[in-house]
Amino acid sequence: MRLEKCWFCSSTIYPGHGIQFVRNDAKIFRFCRSKCHKNFKMKRNPRKVKWTKAYRRLHGKDMTQDSTFEFERKRNRPERYDRNITENTLKAIKKIDKVRVDREARHHAKRMKGKKAKEQREAAKELEQSIHMVKAPVALQQEPSLTLPKIKVKVSQQQAEENRMEE
Amino acid sequence: MAASFASKWFLAGRSLLGALRNNSLGLLRTSQEMTCSDFLSQQQRTFIQMRTNLKVVDNSGAKRVMCIQALKGKKGARLGDTIIASVKEAQPGGKVKKGSVVYGVVVRAAMQRGRCDGSEVKFDDNAVVLVNKQGEPIGTRVFGPVPHELRKKKHVKILSLAEHIA
Repeated sequence: MRLEKCWFCSSTIYPGHGIQFVRNDAKIFRFCRSKCHKNFKMKRNPRKVKWTKAYRRLHGKDMTQDSTFEFERKRNRPERYDRNITENTLKAIKKIDKVRVDREARHHAKRMKGKKAKEQREAAKELEQSIHMVKAPVALQQEPSLTLPKIKVKVSQQQAEENRMEE
Repeated sequence: MAASFASKWFLAGRSLLGALRNNSLGLLRTSQEMTCSDFLSQQQRTFIQMRTNLKVVDNSGAKRVMCIQALKGKKGARLGDTIIASVKEAQPGGKVKKGSVVYGVVVRAAMQRGRCDGSEVKFDDNAVVLVNKQGEPIGTRVFGPVPHELRKKKHVKILSLAEHIA
Protein backbone atom coordinates (compact mmCIF):
# COMPACT_ATOMS: atom_id res chain seq x y z
CA MET A 1 0.00 0.00 0.00
CA ARG A 2 1.59 3.23 -1.12
CA LEU A 3 0.66 6.45 0.64
CA GLU A 4 1.19 9.50 -1.55
CA LYS A 5 1.51 13.14 -0.53
CA CYS A 6 -0.86 15.82 -1.75
CA TRP A 7 0.87 18.22 -4.14
CA PHE A 8 -0.85 21.23 -2.61
CA CYS A 9 -1.17 20.67 1.13
CA SER A 10 1.34 17.80 1.61
CA SER A 11 -1.14 15.68 3.53
CA THR A 12 -1.18 11.92 3.11
CA ILE A 13 -3.41 10.48 0.39
CA TYR A 14 -4.75 7.06 1.25
CA PRO A 15 -5.72 4.67 -1.58
CA GLY A 16 -9.01 5.53 -3.23
CA HIS A 17 -8.97 9.18 -2.21
CA GLY A 18 -8.58 12.33 -4.24
CA ILE A 19 -7.87 13.03 -7.87
CA GLN A 20 -4.71 13.04 -9.90
CA PHE A 21 -3.94 15.28 -12.84
CA VAL A 22 -1.43 14.15 -15.45
CA ARG A 23 0.19 16.99 -17.36
CA ASN A 24 1.30 16.41 -20.96
CA ASP A 25 4.93 16.13 -19.87
CA ALA A 26 3.81 13.16 -17.71
CA LYS A 27 4.23 14.98 -14.39
CA ILE A 28 1.60 13.71 -11.99
CA PHE A 29 -0.10 16.11 -9.57
CA ARG A 30 -1.96 14.30 -6.80
CA PHE A 31 -4.57 16.05 -4.68
CA CYS A 32 -6.07 14.80 -1.42
CA ARG A 33 -9.47 16.47 -1.90
CA SER A 34 -11.35 18.83 -4.16
CA LYS A 35 -10.25 21.81 -2.04
CA CYS A 36 -6.63 21.27 -3.03
CA HIS A 37 -7.55 20.51 -6.64
CA LYS A 38 -9.55 23.72 -6.92
CA ASN A 39 -6.74 25.77 -5.42
CA PHE A 40 -4.39 24.24 -7.98
CA LYS A 41 -6.78 25.13 -10.80
CA MET A 42 -6.85 28.70 -9.50
CA LYS A 43 -3.05 28.66 -9.94
CA ARG A 44 -2.40 29.40 -6.28
CA ASN A 45 1.07 28.92 -4.91
CA PRO A 46 1.01 26.54 -1.92
CA ARG A 47 3.86 28.53 -0.37
CA LYS A 48 1.59 31.55 -0.17
CA VAL A 49 -1.55 29.81 1.12
CA LYS A 50 -1.48 29.82 4.89
CA TRP A 51 -3.05 26.45 5.67
CA THR A 52 -0.62 24.36 3.65
CA LYS A 53 2.36 22.51 5.02
CA ALA A 54 4.64 24.32 2.57
CA TYR A 55 3.67 27.70 4.04
CA ARG A 56 4.06 26.52 7.62
CA ARG A 57 7.49 25.05 6.93
CA LEU A 58 8.62 28.13 5.05
CA HIS A 59 7.55 30.50 7.81
CA GLY A 60 8.99 28.54 10.71
CA LYS A 61 5.66 27.43 12.13
CA ASP A 62 6.56 23.75 12.03
CA MET A 63 9.65 21.73 12.71
CA THR A 64 11.66 21.42 9.52
CA GLN A 65 14.89 19.70 10.42
CA ASP A 66 14.52 16.67 12.58
CA SER A 67 15.92 13.16 12.58
CA THR A 68 12.42 11.68 12.93
CA PHE A 69 11.59 12.80 9.37
CA GLU A 70 14.32 10.58 8.00
CA PHE A 71 12.19 7.48 8.56
CA GLU A 72 9.38 8.60 6.29
CA ARG A 73 10.89 8.22 2.84
CA LYS A 74 9.92 7.00 -0.60
CA ARG A 75 11.58 3.71 -1.43
CA ASN A 76 11.25 2.25 -4.88
CA ARG A 77 12.86 -1.08 -4.04
CA PRO A 78 10.71 -3.55 -2.12
CA GLU A 79 12.30 -4.86 1.06
CA ARG A 80 12.84 -8.60 1.39
CA TYR A 81 10.53 -9.85 4.12
CA ASP A 82 12.24 -10.69 7.37
CA ARG A 83 10.14 -11.51 10.41
CA ASN A 84 12.56 -10.06 12.97
CA ILE A 85 13.02 -6.81 11.08
CA THR A 86 9.27 -6.42 10.67
CA GLU A 87 8.73 -7.00 14.38
CA ASN A 88 11.35 -4.44 15.31
CA THR A 89 9.93 -1.95 12.87
CA LEU A 90 6.46 -2.29 14.32
CA LYS A 91 7.88 -1.71 17.78
CA ALA A 92 9.89 1.28 16.64
CA ILE A 93 6.92 2.99 14.97
CA LYS A 94 5.27 3.77 18.30
CA LYS A 95 8.45 4.99 19.91
CA ILE A 96 9.45 7.18 16.98
CA ASP A 97 5.97 8.67 16.84
CA LYS A 98 6.14 9.54 20.53
CA VAL A 99 9.53 11.18 20.08
CA ARG A 100 8.23 13.19 17.15
CA VAL A 101 5.12 14.36 18.99
CA ASP A 102 7.20 15.41 21.99
CA ARG A 103 9.63 17.33 19.84
CA GLU A 104 6.78 19.05 18.03
CA ALA A 105 5.24 20.06 21.34
CA ARG A 106 8.57 21.46 22.46
CA HIS A 107 8.93 23.38 19.20
CA HIS A 108 5.44 24.83 19.64
CA ALA A 109 6.13 25.81 23.23
CA LYS A 110 9.34 27.53 22.18
CA ARG A 111 7.54 29.37 19.42
CA MET A 112 4.77 30.56 21.76
CA LYS A 113 7.13 31.58 24.55
CA GLY A 114 6.78 35.37 24.60
CA LYS A 115 3.18 35.49 23.46
CA LYS A 116 1.42 36.16 26.76
CA ALA A 117 3.79 38.95 27.76
CA LYS A 118 3.39 40.51 24.32
CA GLU A 119 -0.40 40.39 24.55
CA GLN A 120 -0.32 42.03 27.98
CA ARG A 121 2.02 44.72 26.75
CA GLU A 122 -0.29 45.46 23.83
CA ALA A 123 -3.34 45.57 26.07
CA ALA A 124 -1.60 47.97 28.46
CA LYS A 125 -0.67 50.21 25.54
CA GLU A 126 -4.22 50.23 24.20
CA LEU A 127 -5.55 51.11 27.63
CA GLU A 128 -3.08 53.96 27.92
CA GLN A 129 -3.86 55.33 24.47
CA SER A 130 -7.64 55.15 24.63
CA ILE A 131 -8.38 55.81 28.29
CA HIS A 132 -10.00 59.12 27.27
CA MET A 133 -12.92 57.13 25.78
CA VAL A 134 -13.87 55.89 29.23
CA LYS A 135 -15.95 58.39 31.25
CA ALA A 136 -15.88 58.52 35.00
CA PRO A 137 -19.19 57.55 36.72
CA VAL A 138 -19.51 61.02 38.22
CA ALA A 139 -19.37 62.62 34.77
CA LEU A 140 -22.19 60.42 33.59
CA GLN A 141 -24.40 61.49 36.47
CA GLN A 142 -23.70 65.16 35.81
CA GLU A 143 -24.10 65.03 32.02
CA PRO A 144 -27.27 63.09 31.06
CA SER A 145 -26.50 63.21 27.29
CA LEU A 146 -23.77 60.61 27.74
CA THR A 147 -26.18 57.91 28.85
CA LEU A 148 -29.05 56.33 26.97
CA PRO A 149 -32.45 57.84 27.83
CA LYS A 150 -34.57 55.73 30.13
CA ILE A 151 -37.67 54.40 28.39
CA LYS A 152 -40.55 52.99 30.36
CA VAL A 153 -42.13 49.88 28.89
CA LYS A 154 -45.59 48.75 29.93
CA VAL A 155 -45.67 45.16 31.03
CA SER A 156 -48.87 43.26 30.38
CA GLN A 157 -48.60 40.90 33.28
CA GLN A 158 -52.34 40.94 33.95
CA GLN A 159 -53.21 39.02 30.78
CA ALA A 160 -50.60 36.36 31.38
CA GLU A 161 -52.11 35.64 34.76
CA GLU A 162 -55.57 35.38 33.26
CA ASN A 163 -54.36 32.90 30.68
CA ARG A 164 -52.85 30.76 33.38
CA MET A 165 -56.16 30.78 35.23
CA GLU A 166 -57.96 29.51 32.16
CA GLU A 167 -55.58 26.63 31.80
CA MET B 1 -25.29 51.57 37.30
CA ALA B 2 -23.55 54.53 35.71
CA ALA B 3 -20.29 52.63 35.55
CA SER B 4 -21.93 49.76 33.71
CA PHE B 5 -23.49 52.20 31.25
CA ALA B 6 -20.12 53.77 30.64
CA SER B 7 -18.54 50.44 29.94
CA LYS B 8 -21.40 49.53 27.58
CA TRP B 9 -20.97 52.75 25.66
CA PHE B 10 -17.29 52.12 25.38
CA LEU B 11 -17.89 48.61 24.12
CA ALA B 12 -20.44 49.81 21.60
CA GLY B 13 -17.95 52.33 20.25
CA ARG B 14 -15.34 49.62 19.93
CA SER B 15 -17.68 47.24 18.16
CA LEU B 16 -18.82 49.97 15.76
CA LEU B 17 -15.22 50.74 14.86
CA GLY B 18 -14.54 47.03 14.48
CA ALA B 19 -17.54 46.64 12.21
CA LEU B 20 -16.34 49.50 10.04
CA ARG B 21 -12.92 47.94 9.74
CA ASN B 22 -14.47 44.60 8.90
CA ASN B 23 -16.63 46.19 6.24
CA SER B 24 -13.73 47.85 4.53
CA LEU B 25 -11.82 44.57 4.57
CA GLY B 26 -14.83 42.75 3.22
CA LEU B 27 -15.11 45.19 0.32
CA LEU B 28 -11.47 44.65 -0.53
CA ARG B 29 -11.90 40.91 -0.38
CA THR B 30 -14.92 40.91 -2.65
CA SER B 31 -13.04 42.90 -5.26
CA GLN B 32 -10.22 40.34 -5.13
CA GLU B 33 -12.71 37.52 -5.54
CA MET B 34 -14.17 39.28 -8.54
CA THR B 35 -10.77 39.36 -10.21
CA CYS B 36 -10.06 35.68 -9.63
CA SER B 37 -13.55 34.47 -10.49
CA ASP B 38 -12.56 33.97 -14.14
CA PHE B 39 -10.30 31.17 -12.95
CA LEU B 40 -13.21 29.65 -11.08
CA SER B 41 -15.54 29.59 -14.06
CA GLN B 42 -13.60 26.94 -15.92
CA GLN B 43 -15.13 24.95 -18.71
CA GLN B 44 -17.05 21.87 -17.65
CA ARG B 45 -15.29 18.81 -19.07
CA THR B 46 -17.57 16.35 -20.88
CA PHE B 47 -17.54 13.04 -22.70
CA ILE B 48 -15.90 12.47 -26.09
CA GLN B 49 -18.97 12.78 -28.28
CA MET B 50 -19.85 13.49 -31.88
CA ARG B 51 -17.87 16.47 -33.28
CA THR B 52 -15.24 16.38 -30.53
CA ASN B 53 -11.85 17.23 -31.98
CA LEU B 54 -9.00 15.04 -30.75
CA LYS B 55 -5.26 15.21 -31.14
CA VAL B 56 -3.61 12.17 -32.70
CA VAL B 57 -0.57 11.13 -30.66
CA ASP B 58 1.05 8.53 -32.90
CA ASN B 59 3.00 8.51 -36.18
CA SER B 60 0.14 7.27 -38.36
CA GLY B 61 0.15 10.55 -40.27
CA ALA B 62 -3.11 12.03 -38.99
CA LYS B 63 -2.85 15.24 -36.95
CA ARG B 64 -6.41 15.93 -35.86
CA VAL B 65 -9.50 13.74 -35.98
CA MET B 66 -13.14 14.46 -35.21
CA CYS B 67 -15.23 11.93 -33.34
CA ILE B 68 -18.23 10.74 -35.33
CA GLN B 69 -19.35 7.84 -33.14
CA ALA B 70 -18.52 6.46 -29.71
CA LEU B 71 -18.64 2.67 -29.76
CA LYS B 72 -19.58 2.37 -26.09
CA GLY B 73 -21.66 4.41 -23.72
CA LYS B 74 -24.88 6.34 -24.16
CA LYS B 75 -23.42 9.78 -23.50
CA GLY B 76 -20.11 9.27 -25.29
CA ALA B 77 -16.65 7.83 -24.93
CA ARG B 78 -14.33 8.24 -21.96
CA LEU B 79 -10.71 7.48 -21.21
CA GLY B 80 -9.79 4.12 -22.74
CA ASP B 81 -12.89 3.76 -24.93
CA THR B 82 -12.81 3.22 -28.70
CA ILE B 83 -14.34 5.74 -31.09
CA ILE B 84 -14.89 6.08 -34.81
CA ALA B 85 -13.45 9.31 -36.17
CA SER B 86 -12.91 11.15 -39.39
CA VAL B 87 -9.46 12.52 -40.19
CA LYS B 88 -9.58 16.31 -40.42
CA GLU B 89 -5.88 17.14 -40.73
CA ALA B 90 -3.18 14.81 -41.95
CA GLN B 91 0.47 15.02 -42.89
CA PRO B 92 1.21 14.37 -46.57
CA GLY B 93 2.62 10.92 -47.19
CA GLY B 94 1.18 9.38 -44.02
CA LYS B 95 -0.56 6.04 -43.65
CA VAL B 96 -3.99 7.66 -43.34
CA LYS B 97 -5.40 10.33 -45.63
CA LYS B 98 -7.53 13.35 -44.85
CA GLY B 99 -11.21 12.51 -44.92
CA SER B 100 -10.83 8.79 -44.18
CA VAL B 101 -12.83 7.13 -41.43
CA VAL B 102 -10.68 5.50 -38.76
CA TYR B 103 -10.97 3.75 -35.39
CA GLY B 104 -9.15 5.19 -32.39
CA VAL B 105 -8.56 4.57 -28.69
CA VAL B 106 -8.92 7.57 -26.35
CA VAL B 107 -5.61 7.59 -24.47
CA ARG B 108 -5.99 10.98 -22.77
CA ALA B 109 -9.19 12.74 -21.74
CA ALA B 110 -9.65 16.04 -19.94
CA MET B 111 -12.72 14.67 -18.20
CA GLN B 112 -11.86 12.78 -15.03
CA ARG B 113 -12.31 9.04 -14.92
CA GLY B 114 -12.63 6.89 -11.82
CA ARG B 115 -9.90 4.36 -11.20
CA CYS B 116 -10.35 0.87 -9.83
CA ASP B 117 -9.45 1.98 -6.29
CA GLY B 118 -11.94 4.88 -6.26
CA SER B 119 -9.59 7.77 -6.95
CA GLU B 120 -9.82 9.76 -10.16
CA VAL B 121 -7.47 10.65 -12.99
CA LYS B 122 -7.60 13.41 -15.60
CA PHE B 123 -5.32 14.68 -18.32
CA ASP B 124 -4.45 17.93 -20.02
CA ASP B 125 -6.08 17.29 -23.42
CA ASN B 126 -8.14 14.86 -25.47
CA ALA B 127 -5.88 12.56 -27.44
CA VAL B 128 -6.36 9.43 -29.50
CA VAL B 129 -4.24 6.62 -30.94
CA LEU B 130 -5.46 5.29 -34.27
CA VAL B 131 -6.09 1.54 -34.46
CA ASN B 132 -7.51 -0.80 -37.09
CA LYS B 133 -10.73 -2.75 -36.66
CA GLN B 134 -8.92 -5.52 -34.79
CA GLY B 135 -7.56 -3.03 -32.25
CA GLU B 136 -3.91 -3.05 -33.39
CA PRO B 137 -2.29 0.38 -33.60
CA ILE B 138 -1.67 1.78 -37.09
CA GLY B 139 1.39 3.81 -36.09
CA THR B 140 4.59 2.52 -34.52
CA ARG B 141 5.10 5.14 -31.83
CA VAL B 142 2.94 6.69 -29.11
CA PHE B 143 3.74 10.12 -27.65
CA GLY B 144 3.04 11.43 -24.18
CA PRO B 145 1.60 9.73 -21.10
CA VAL B 146 -1.12 7.07 -21.32
CA PRO B 147 -3.15 5.54 -18.46
CA HIS B 148 -2.54 2.01 -17.23
CA GLU B 149 -6.25 1.26 -17.61
CA LEU B 150 -5.54 0.44 -21.28
CA ARG B 151 -4.27 -2.93 -20.09
CA LYS B 152 -7.75 -3.73 -18.85
CA LYS B 153 -9.13 -2.77 -22.27
CA LYS B 154 -6.66 -5.17 -23.94
CA HIS B 155 -4.55 -2.49 -25.60
CA VAL B 156 -1.23 -3.81 -24.33
CA LYS B 157 0.51 -2.87 -27.58
CA ILE B 158 -0.24 0.84 -27.02
CA LEU B 159 1.03 0.56 -23.46
CA SER B 160 4.30 -1.02 -24.56
CA LEU B 161 4.82 1.69 -27.19
CA ALA B 162 4.07 4.53 -24.77
CA GLU B 163 6.76 6.78 -23.31
CA HIS B 164 5.15 7.26 -19.90
CA ILE B 165 2.46 5.33 -18.09
CA ALA B 166 0.35 7.26 -15.56
